Amino acid sequence: MITLNNLDTKFKYEVAEEPGGENIKLCFACGLCTAGCPVSEIDPEYNPRRIIHMVLLGMREEVLSSNLIWLCSLCYTCQAHCPQNVNFADVMKALRNMAVREGYVHPSFANRIKDIDTFSQRLRHQMVSSVVDRKSEEMELEPAKLAEEALKGLKTKV
Amino acid sequence: MEDKPRIGVYVCHCGTNISATVDIDTVTSYARSLDSVVVAKDYRFMCSDPGQDLIKQDIRELGLNRVVVASCSPLMHEATFRRVCEEAGLNRYLFQMANIREHCSWVTENGKEATEKAKALINAAVRRVFYQEALEIPEIPVNPNTLIVGGGIAGIQAALEIANSGNKVYLVEREPSIGGHMIQLDKTFPTLDCSACIMTPKMSDVGSHPDIELMSYSEVEEVSGYVGNFKVRVRKKARYVDEKKCTSCGVCQEKCPWKAPSEFDAGIGERKAIYIPFPQAVPNIPVIDTETCVYFKTGKCRACEKFCEAKAIDFEQKDQYIELEVGNIIVATGYDVFDPSPIIQYGYGRYDNVITGIEFERMCNATGPTGGNIVLKGGSAPESIAIIHCVGSRDEHYHAYCSRVCCMYALKFAHLIKEKTDAEVYQMYIDMRCFGKAYEEFYQRIAEEGVKFVRGKVSEVTDQAINEEEKGKLILVVEDTLLGSVIRVPVDIVILATAIEARSDAEQVARLFSISRSADGFFLERHPKLDPVATMTDGIQVVGCCQGPKDIPDTVAQASAGAARVLAMISKGKVELEGITAVVDEEQCSGCKTCISLCPFNAISFDEEKKVSRINEALCKGCGTCVAACPSEAITQRHFTTEQIMAELEGVLV
Repeated sequence: MITLNNLDTKFKYEVAEEPGGENIKLCFACGLCTAGCPVSEIDPEYNPRRIIHMVLLGMREEVLSSNLIWLCSLCYTCQAHCPQNVNFADVMKALRNMAVREGYVHPSFANRIKDIDTFSQRLRHQMVSSVVDRKSEEMELEPAKLAEEALKGLKTKV
Repeated sequence: MEDKPRIGVYVCHCGTNISATVDIDTVTSYARSLDSVVVAKDYRFMCSDPGQDLIKQDIRELGLNRVVVASCSPLMHEATFRRVCEEAGLNRYLFQMANIREHCSWVTENGKEATEKAKALINAAVRRVFYQEALEIPEIPVNPNTLIVGGGIAGIQAALEIANSGNKVYLVEREPSIGGHMIQLDKTFPTLDCSACIMTPKMSDVGSHPDIELMSYSEVEEVSGYVGNFKVRVRKKARYVDEKKCTSCGVCQEKCPWKAPSEFDAGIGERKAIYIPFPQAVPNIPVIDTETCVYFKTGKCRACEKFCEAKAIDFEQKDQYIELEVGNIIVATGYDVFDPSPIIQYGYGRYDNVITGIEFERMCNATGPTGGNIVLKGGSAPESIAIIHCVGSRDEHYHAYCSRVCCMYALKFAHLIKEKTDAEVYQMYIDMRCFGKAYEEFYQRIAEEGVKFVRGKVSEVTDQAINEEEKGKLILVVEDTLLGSVIRVPVDIVILATAIEARSDAEQVARLFSISRSADGFFLERHPKLDPVATMTDGIQVVGCCQGPKDIPDTVAQASAGAARVLAMISKGKVELEGITAVVDEEQCSGCKTCISLCPFNAISFDEEKKVSRINEALCKGCGTCVAACPSEAITQRHFTTEQIMAELEGVLV
């Protein structure tokens, strides 16, 4: 049972003040963000609509300390289709900034995340490039094998 | 100036709207100290009866001959206080308003500054009113004829209301038949009346009414004049069929070999190049669509002409222009259905079995192209159907507003599907809005019929199956927000509950009638609550969906309200014109005629004998264009004289 009185009612205003969080209060919980989210598809625990709702209710501790806010891949699908222009990918950035600033994560964690981000972007680029290079050929490519191949080239760089 | 000005100043608290920010006592005693001010009082609500009585009593007992009220915007209550002055025997133009709410207390939280600004605004009003003069208020007779633009249910209702009182109505309809969108609907919620059954009696009443002149297939081209005396030019488009000779036998459309998508059937059925839009059309006279008719392209065919026994086909017919004189105008131009093709993720136009609400109405209707059978393209029966709500509504990318009818027509669709097929029905909704009389009960009834409700906005409609069950189906991807899980729903038909939107030519129509539009594109009413059918242009009312999305009961109520407004004007028989007009000082006029070419109301003529311009006060709207343009400064605008404006400016600046 969650007691509403124990929650931080100012949290949503703080998020709205943070760059990226401006439109959070406009959410009418239609779930379009979640329905189109590629991360939710892999990990149903990750639910953008639910995260927004937690912010609006004032569940500060739960949101900022949660591992979930680090899962967004910033693909902007939610942002492109949101009927209320909540700009959820930007909200995610705002929440991450707040979590780092308020000490919910160790600074080294943020650096590590940044490294992973750069690394995975490069990996994605390599994988897509190798597919694009061969797009005119008939091909059966296993994503796992492709990653292995791409990683060979990356290992020395990271 | 007749008597020495004796000014009364009345400061309104407006509850706490003004008094919470502005120091009323300081402002009132300041007003009392101003030159020529005899009395200054404050009151909680100046617009209330006791507040009004306070002013009237002072006018009578203290012999006030000028009044200033410091309160809200003149848009809100200028008319109220002008009337108060008149009731106490003071000319309405000897009143001035200082806006210390919208321009002052509402725009700052700084009490000190707000108080100073209120003082300045009151000083300006007092100095201005000092120079104000009583003006004559001309009255003109009202032409009892009315023009109604648009022959949907709104226009039909308004036309019958007015014509049943014995007054003449001209009903202009752009399409070949009246009926509008309502005649396209199969059933109407929540009573499930057959739409055509309840509408066709009204349509034929319009067609046969001795006091209604129906001008179908016609458009208003030009409007001039003013309340009580409008002049309107109507273009009656050529039908290429002689209305007097035609017997409505229908042989022409039977014999015509050329086809086009039927507008009446929302494009899912076909009609001929010469066609009566639907069997119950009023008037029941065909029209030739020159885009489709081969005779108009190549000069050959004339099949309709050969078979017409009444010799009613007339390829030589030309557009006709008709001039009308009317006292009032009701604009009932309706709405457009939102085109969902820009929402590519829903696949409208890409997948055959993704259809719009209006297309479903025609499919479901017994006179429609499928004979009322709900079927997939190709004719097979559906096993499941999903209805997506809020398509184009409640979406910042398209229309931010709620279209108000979609929840209910989606429920109606669900009922009709359950009645006619064995299909499962899914409602993909964001919020169910069933707010009208007997609407919630209808919602419960549909829920009891076993319709499935999924709360969530659909992110995608796809034909990419991921398992056997989905093969050959359209799959909807949606988060059921009540479950908290993303679900995939395979169905056979997807119905998009498309939005109501302003007509694509609403801007031109607004300009034609000199009315405004709100940000959503619909025509703007004078007051959203208390004056919902009048516009800022006297004598022009807006009713039905052209003013905003609404259902049939609301449309009919609004149409009757518009008619009541017109009838009140007709039965009064005369209308007051604005006393604020421009006047030419003939001594100073050099006869350059600059003003004549600039006047937007053609109110200025030239006196060839005296070589001076002369303004017709009945036509002058007091816009001030000529006043500003006159190189000799020979034109003065009453109530906005240089003396008055300079005094007002000094009052603010001192």
